[in-house]
This record gives sequence, structure tokens and C-alpha cells, in this order.
Amino acid sequence: MTKNSYAGKILRVDLTSGAIKIEPFGPEYIDRFIGGRGVASKVLYDEVPPEVEPFDPENRLIFSPGALHGTASPAASRTTVAAKSPLTGMHGDGHSGANWGGELKRAGYDLLIIQGQADKPVYLFIHDDHVELRDASGLRGLLTSQTHARLRDLTGIPDLRTVSIGPAGENRVRLAGVFHDGSDEGVSARCGLGAVMGAKNLKAIATRGTRDIGVADQQAFRAAYQEYLDVIAVDPYVPPATKYGTCRFMFHRVKFGIHGAENWRYGEYPWETLSPEIFRADYQVKAGACVACPVRCRRDYRIRSGPYAGITAKLEWETIARSLTCGITDPEAVIAWSNLCNHYGLDIEGTGDTVAFAMECFEHGLITEKDTDGLVLRFGDPHAFLELTRRIALRQGDLANILAEGTRRAAQQIGQGSERFAMNVKGGEMTAGDPRGMPVRAVSYATSTRGSDHLRSNPYIEEICTAEEALQWFGSEEAADLRGGVKGKGRMLKFSEDLVTIGDILGLCKFAYYRSATLPYLYRKGVTIATKLYNACAGRHLSEEEMLLAGERTFNVEKAFNTRCGATRADDIIPERFFTEPLRGGGPSGGMVVERDKFEQILNEYYEARRFDVQTGLPTRAGLERLGLGDIAHDLATRGKLVG
Amino acid sequence: MVEKRRIIYTSRPWEATGLCSGCRLCEFWCSMHNMGVFNPLRARIRVLEMGTGIDIPVTCQQCQDPACQAACAYEAIYSDAKLNIVRVDPDRCTACGECVGACPFGIITLDPVTNVAMKCELCGGDEPACVTVCPSKVLGALTNEQVSEYNRRRYAALLAYDDETHRYKPGGEEPILKKLER
Repeated sequence: MTKNSYAGKILRVDLTSGAIKIEPFGPEYIDRFIGGRGVASKVLYDEVPPEVEPFDPENRLIFSPGALHGTASPAASRTTVAAKSPLTGMHGDGHSGANWGGELKRAGYDLLIIQGQADKPVYLFIHDDHVELRDASGLRGLLTSQTHARLRDLTGIPDLRTVSIGPAGENRVRLAGVFHDGSDEGVSARCGLGAVMGAKNLKAIATRGTRDIGVADQQAFRAAYQEYLDVIAVDPYVPPATKYGTCRFMFHRVKFGIHGAENWRYGEYPWETLSPEIFRADYQVKAGACVACPVRCRRDYRIRSGPYAGITAKLEWETIARSLTCGITDPEAVIAWSNLCNHYGLDIEGTGDTVAFAMECFEHGLITEKDTDGLVLRFGDPHAFLELTRRIALRQGDLANILAEGTRRAAQQIGQGSERFAMNVKGGEMTAGDPRGMPVRAVSYATSTRGSDHLRSNPYIEEICTAEEALQWFGSEEAADLRGGVKGKGRMLKFSEDLVTIGDILGLCKFAYYRSATLPYLYRKGVTIATKLYNACAGRHLSEEEMLLAGERTFNVEKAFNTRCGATRADDIIPERFFTEPLRGGGPSGGMVVERDKFEQILNEYYEARRFDVQTGLPTRAGLERLGLGDIAHDLATRGKLVG
Repeated sequence: MVEKRRIIYTSRPWEATGLCSGCRLCEFWCSMHNMGVFNPLRARIRVLEMGTGIDIPVTCQQCQDPACQAACAYEAIYSDAKLNIVRVDPDRCTACGECVGACPFGIITLDPVTNVAMKCELCGGDEPACVTVCPSKVLGALTNEQVSEYNRRRYAALLAYDDETHRYKPGGEEPILKKLER
């Protein structure tokens, strides 16, 4: 009998009682939600009602490998981790390109649900059918790298795969991430998931899977695989990705002058010492790859001399971006910081914005040397950058203890008007590039379901689509106008959000499928080929429309979760700074702001396209029922959170 | 008899895309070609993580005088006369594991599902799957002559790197070797 690419089981672990249950993974998840983020979001909705707080035992920590993880689908390397977020108090998830997710599937599980709270530190050991909770007191305080290595020793399995938290997660730092396979492979970094794992007293998950993952239609799979290779052979987007890794996004930020430097005040900044050429020539180890990926755009960097000699760290673009947010221009300090965050278990996005927040507070005298025990928190000072980060991971000192809560809570505690320096959306810290002068990018940060996030959507579509394509796809040529366009942008944002959600459902990397030089290539990779790969692996016959609907459906589940937690249109907003303070430093976006009327217009059109109520931002009954989410519509209605 | 070949990791360390990227597509497609499934534990080529950013693929060296064959008491390992490949006869293999302990490269293992000894058999004479799918093109099914050519280049590259490191720069710092001479 031909197997397909599903493992067929759910593993549910209750840390309070120690109970371990195996449940079938069946049509109730596969039909509408497929895998990965689709399934994770539905489980979160079904199992975590709004009265459960993120650190409560009843919060879930969900591990959901993408549906194609474990197959040779190109770049099918990603796993979703989800929980109610300690940062936003709403839907939280993180993804990671690492081997662990495939290992979970080879152990026999498409989904792992952790609930409850252990009364002492434990780790979960999974070896096919053998699943047990083990004492983790010997792992307490270990770095992510040390945890990974120690587990390999303890279990006697040299190529064991693991998920772990570092000291930051153990200390419930709300900026802590969940690390796959040690410190330098992959991180589910955002939303404070590491803190949830720490609150549950779960230090790590050790996994070994020996089973096969099948493919329902091998011929169709081979054809789709080859088609993917044929497209990336000609898509101009790909060679720079292979050549520079994600460092290449520096060129983009320079082109538009949107660095977000010094806590999102400067669009132009002395970036040259952080050029992709320098990282490539002086520090790059090689063109690395996530599992099954032919694009090979992941990077480790090694420092061979100087004050940070001996450090090798995995580092991607956003680490460089957030370093600039702290005014850092020394590439070795950036690598050293990445190393620190990786080993201590911190998210570089949230941590970078939090350190920058502290630096700006210090600049304005809201924090003084008395508060920092003598540490001078100046923008651009590597020592302050690294030392404050270390203290945050360990909650060392009163100030670091406050900052460990993230910018929103820290600003509430520090007061004195520091809220205007707290750069987050719904509590989730800012990412990517400055939105000033780029209207739909601004809105995309606001509408993301997990706090500020550029990966929830692909606002880059506006940079690659032609006027004709904009008219055909989004109803107006204006959608292709980066700076001035308004009409069509809302529809474009909805489309791009649904599109990349497909990637998260299937476990496909966005750089491999959802970035492209042209809209046709983008659609071909991200929808057409993705659907073919899935159908071949799973033995199904989804149309491209149905795949896009699965993306849309997943997004709506998350929106419903947030609505149930109390989110409204008022929460779909970005920090005030972007509206009122013109971007400093000159350059292509110098002097610009996010224009409020454009923001509102695009948001209106977006809500209409999404079938949300335009005034309140709440989902509508018609919108949810159209997506087969009648159960969710009913639940929201009973809580008075549904329109229609 | 066809000329003997072996899968060699022919890295080009002077190129960023000349090192094994760690993508493991070789493992995936090896298990798919041979067993019809995706399972790295059933691949006959394995990628080992030797440090952060250091991935090394290893597989059977098709020894002339195979230690695995010598260790087998059941004549389950033999040299295919036509294809010049060392192969396992699954009907004779008893899963005793002696070959596994004997291989100096740690290559031959027991398939965890079928419990039969397994090793690279060069895809039975077809174009090896791992060579085809490797995106960095660092795997080759090489003849002895080709292996020799590759090793020669690696050795020369090492010497060239050494020369370049110690090259005299007019007006610049004295080369290290010259310093040592004094």
C-alpha cells in the first residue's frame, strides 16, 4: 500500500499529570487545515479559551511540522510552534527551518501538543513509540547549545534532534525563543514562545524518529520537484540569495533608505561596514542550506581574529537590521550578538528593539547610570549592546528584569512618557524595514496576527508587480505604486497574507517560494508548484484556489483567536512615531511619515477584502462561513464578537 | 568489466557553494531511489554535522578488498562482476552485523526497517541520485583516475594557499617565512 506524507498521529503530553496520549491525526485537521501553521492555529483556537493566560498551565505549546516536512519537497524545512503569546496576550507562533520537525514526523507524529505544567524541570523524550518525560534538573541553566549536546550524550543517540530553551526561556523572559537542534540551526523566536516553554518547566524535547515518510504519487512528485528547479534556474531573485544569503536584504534597505536605525528614527545610516560583501568575504563559512533546500541562503559566520575571535554563529538579515536599530555598525559585534542570543535563547527581533528602547530612554535621561549599574547605554556601543542583552537573558538587575518583559510592559513600568519609544504592535516588537513612505508596508505590520511582522505577508509584491498585473489582480494600477498608491493595496495585502500562509502550512520556506523577481514566478512557485507537491505527497487533489483558501482560512482562525482575546480595529495600528516623526537621516525615504489617511484607506479596503467589519475590524458571519469556519463563527457569536 | 567508480565528496573549499551545504537532498533521494520512501536512516549516503557550518557527506568507498566482504560469513557481500560494484545479496544476509563493525569508514549499516545490510551500490549502475540532486555539485561518481585528479588539485590548492599567504608584498610587511629564516 502506498503511504503518503502524513505520519498519522497526534502526540499529546500533559505535564501536570504526566499523561501521554496518542490520538489519530485525521480529516478534522487535514481537510481544512492541512498541516503546519494551519493545524497549529486551529488547535490553539479550540483549546485555549480567552480566560487562559500565557503562563497558565492550560496554555498550549503546539509543535506542528509543515505538511511537507520530511519529504524532499524543496525547502520543506519549516515547523510551526504556537501558543498564546506572553508578549501580545494573543495568538503567537514562530517558525523554524530545522531538521527537528521532520524527525517528529519520522517518529510517527504530525502534531505534538504540550499542556499543563511540570512541578520540576523535565524534558520530553520521543523515540518512535517510546515517549516519556524525564528529569531535566541536570540541564537547568544550560545554554541551548549545551542542552543539545548533553541530550545527545545522555540518550546515547549521536544524531538526536532536539528542541530546547536557554536560560532566557527558563527565566520566562518574554523575548525568549524555542531553539531547534541547538544554538545555530533554527529558531522559533517570536512571540515569547520560549517563555511559555519555560513556564511549563519543559527544558527540552529530545526526538528520534526512524520511520519512513512516503509519497503517494512519486511520478507527480518528481515532476513537481523538477518544475521547481526549472523555475529557480531562471528566476533572477535566486542567484543573489545563494551568493549573499539573507544579508542581501541590506541592498533593499539601502535602496529605499529604511534601516530603522537608532530605534526606528533614521532611514539612512552608515551601513557600509555591514555590507553583504563584507560578510561574504570576511566571515562567511559557506553557502549553507536548510533541510532539502537547493537555494542555500542560510549562513554561519566565523570571526578569526580580534576581540571576538573564535565565535561562529548562525546569523540572518534581521540580526543585522536590529543591530542597526541599536546603532551598531561593527560586523563582529553583530556576529557576537547573534552568538549570545542563540546560546542564551533570545529572539533577536524583540531583544534588539528592547535594547534600542532602553538606549533611547537613556538618551532622554529616563534611565540613568544608576539604573544600569554604570552601564552607559549609548546607541552604537557594542559593549552596552552585548552586556544589556546578557543581563536581559538572565534577568540580572532590576532594569534588565523590567526589560525582559518586552517593550510594552517595560514602558508601562518605566513610565515618564517612555511609551513613545516602545516600538511594538500589539506588544510584538517591530521587524524588517521602516514603513514610512511605504503605505501598505505600514498596514501589513498592523494587520499581522502575531504582532508586528513582515513575514505574515509579502508587501514586496508591490515592488515586483507591473501596473497591468496590479489592475488584473488587485483592481487598480495604483497597487504597483510603492509610494503613492492606495487603491488595490488592501486587496494586495490580503492576497499576500494568504499566499505566505500556504508556505507556513506546508512548511515551505518563504525565501524559496514567496520571494521572486516577478509575480508570475511567485505564483508559480508559491501556489502552483506548492499545490502540486502537496497533492503528490499527500495523495490529494486540491486546486490552487483551495490551497489559497486554506491560507485564508488559517489567517481567519488566528484573527478569530485575537478577536476573542479582545482585539479590535484599534489594535491594528503601528507605533505613533511612524505617523508623527518624519524619518531622519535623509535618503530616499527621508522626511517621510506614514500618512494616516492612506493607512486608514488601505486598512478599510483590506477589511472589505477580508470580509471583516470595516468599523470594528471584527470578523463577519458571512466571511467565516464562506471559509467553512461555521464552528468558529458560532463560538464568536456566543461571545458577542461577531458581526452579522 | 566497467571501470570502478565511487562516490566522493569533491568539495571546492575556495568557493562558497563548493562545500556541502547540509541540505541532505542526497539522503532524501538516496532513500527514495533505493527504498521508495524518504528516510535519512535508510539512505546509503549520510551527511554528518562536524561543527557549526561544517557538513560532510560520507559513503561507501567501494574498496578493492572490502573489509565488509571479508567479515561476512554468509557470502552476502560480493563484487558485481559486470558493474564493478560491491553489493549486498539480501537473500543471504542474516543481519549478523559483522560487516557493520568491520567497515573502517563506518558506512555499511543495517536497514532499520528490512534488517538487511545496506550500502551505496551506485544506484545499480544508473546515474547516481545523490550526484544528480546535489545543488552544490560536490558529489561525484569518480573513477580512480578522476579521484586522483581531484586529490591532485586539492593538494595543489593547499600549496597555492600557502604561497599566497606568504607572498612577498613590495613595500609591505616581511613575509613570515623570511622572518623565520633569521
